[in-house]
Amino acid sequence: MNVIECRGLTKVYGKTKALNHLSFTIEENKITGLIGRNGSGKTTLLKTIAGYLRETSGEIKVFSEKSFNNLMVSANVIYINDQMNFPTALTLREVLNVSAMFYEKWDHELANRLFDYFSFQSTHYYNDLSKGMKSTFNMIVGLCARCALTMFDEPTTGMDAAVRKDFYRALLKDYIAYPRTILLSSHHLEEIEDLLEDILLIKEGREHLHMPIGELKEWAIGIQGLSENVEEWTRNKEVIYSKDIGVNRTYAVVKNNLSEADHQKAKAADLALTQVTSSDVCVYLTSKTKGGIDDVFIKD
Amino acid sequence: MSLSKTSLLDNVKKQFTFKLKAYKQVFISLIFIQLLAVFFSFNGVGMMGSSSESIEIDIQFYSADMVIIFTIIWAFITAILITTTAYKKDDFTFVTNQLSSNLSNMLFLLTGSIVGGITAMLSTSLMKIIMNIFGGLGYISASPSLSEIVIGYSSTILYILLFSGLGYLFGTLVQISKAFAVLIPGVFIGAGILGAGSLGFEWVKGMYQFIFTEPSVLVFVLKVLVIVAMLFTSSIALSNRMEVRE
Repeated sequence: MNVIECRGLTKVYGKTKALNHLSFTIEENKITGLIGRNGSGKTTLLKTIAGYLRETSGEIKVFSEKSFNNLMVSANVIYINDQMNFPTALTLREVLNVSAMFYEKWDHELANRLFDYFSFQSTHYYNDLSKGMKSTFNMIVGLCARCALTMFDEPTTGMDAAVRKDFYRALLKDYIAYPRTILLSSHHLEEIEDLLEDILLIKEGREHLHMPIGELKEWAIGIQGLSENVEEWTRNKEVIYSKDIGVNRTYAVVKNNLSEADHQKAKAADLALTQVTSSDVCVYLTSKTKGGIDDVFIKD
Repeated sequence: MSLSKTSLLDNVKKQFTFKLKAYKQVFISLIFIQLLAVFFSFNGVGMMGSSSESIEIDIQFYSADMVIIFTIIWAFITAILITTTAYKKDDFTFVTNQLSSNLSNMLFLLTGSIVGGITAMLSTSLMKIIMNIFGGLGYISASPSLSEIVIGYSSTILYILLFSGLGYLFGTLVQISKAFAVLIPGVFIGAGILGAGSLGFEWVKGMYQFIFTEPSVLVFVLKVLVIVAMLFTSSIALSNRMEVRE
């Protein structure tokens, strides 16, 4: 069963197109990483899926129903982000109790154990927590709600390294015990790539790549050597990224569909082929220009 | 994984229980406002004096009018408050849609109006006790009949409910466009300054007369209930296509 079906989804704010003809489907019980640069439309997409925002055009279906303002979708989807609102008058413990009332599959025992593990105080209020503590608390609510579609938008904002590790581990353990569809958006792909099955890369509101994470690791290849040799070798190939390193040497990244001849040519020209990590691939693919920040500082 | 099922009715119930807990500050502010109003009431709401050659009579009137007016203002502001983004977002943190969020808000305002109305009317008892202890000479208290009490309580509750419905619609309009925050008070204050009954503002006077000068209790109850229903229905209709944003 497809949990999310999205066809030609467009969302316009004033004059900007936050989502631009986005189409993809997400299957049941998969952990998908939603990757994109700042302002690429990740949050808008997640909020549209959660039914907070109404699509301008196109179609978005969650559990085969239109998501906007839909009670069934709301009951089965939880959307966790770093600007969550919890009632200011309720203590942390009361928030957990209220969540238990609303979410049918809520695991109160797990919630209590996580609550104690991260040393929250029952009588504290959400608004008095630090940024990292807020994120940790959000994570507890997100995990324990056990919603069929669980979405985390930048869940680790402000968390320290230890808590981040704990979070990913808790997420994985709970997912294995109670499989569900999880959408995880993060800037730190290298941290979450071991967790993900699929990756959905969006750029300027469009779907750029949607593939298993394993394929993404093999998707591109880096080449390094004398500038002229690299230039010669990459002539008829699509260069995703290139950078001058030191004097007369260039590093370039191309799509990994090389033939045997390409390998031999590279060897002859003394070019070194290297693997490109998936997070680097994402950075290169989503950058708006071919160069990098260095080019900004070159005046001529 | 199986999907959770939820019905609208069930969800409204849950939202309502949640709101009774989460909006408890609203009731705390009610207590403060009513105590403040009781305090102000000791100036007396009216005065009468007469004197002849050898006798001078001064009569001071005390009533719960001030408390009721303060409670009405409280209900109006509370209704606006719960339409704001922060409160809307609280609802959407848990399970809801616009309809069930609105319905549970209305149930909450109804509860608030009943509680506010009853406590406002009961404040007369508090005033009587205080008057007995600290009051001046010759304290006389009215002893209303049962039917008067029933009419007093129910009309107070209805007035409060009416203004909370008005506040709710006002708040909803402001959520749709911030321009209404200026426009609506502008129209009402403007109408007041220009004078009701002149310059095409007869409708203000007409509206006032329609609601506040109804001699028949039953017709009054019906009128208010119909108006409140209309206010809430239009709020629901207006907000049903609204998005939940920052």
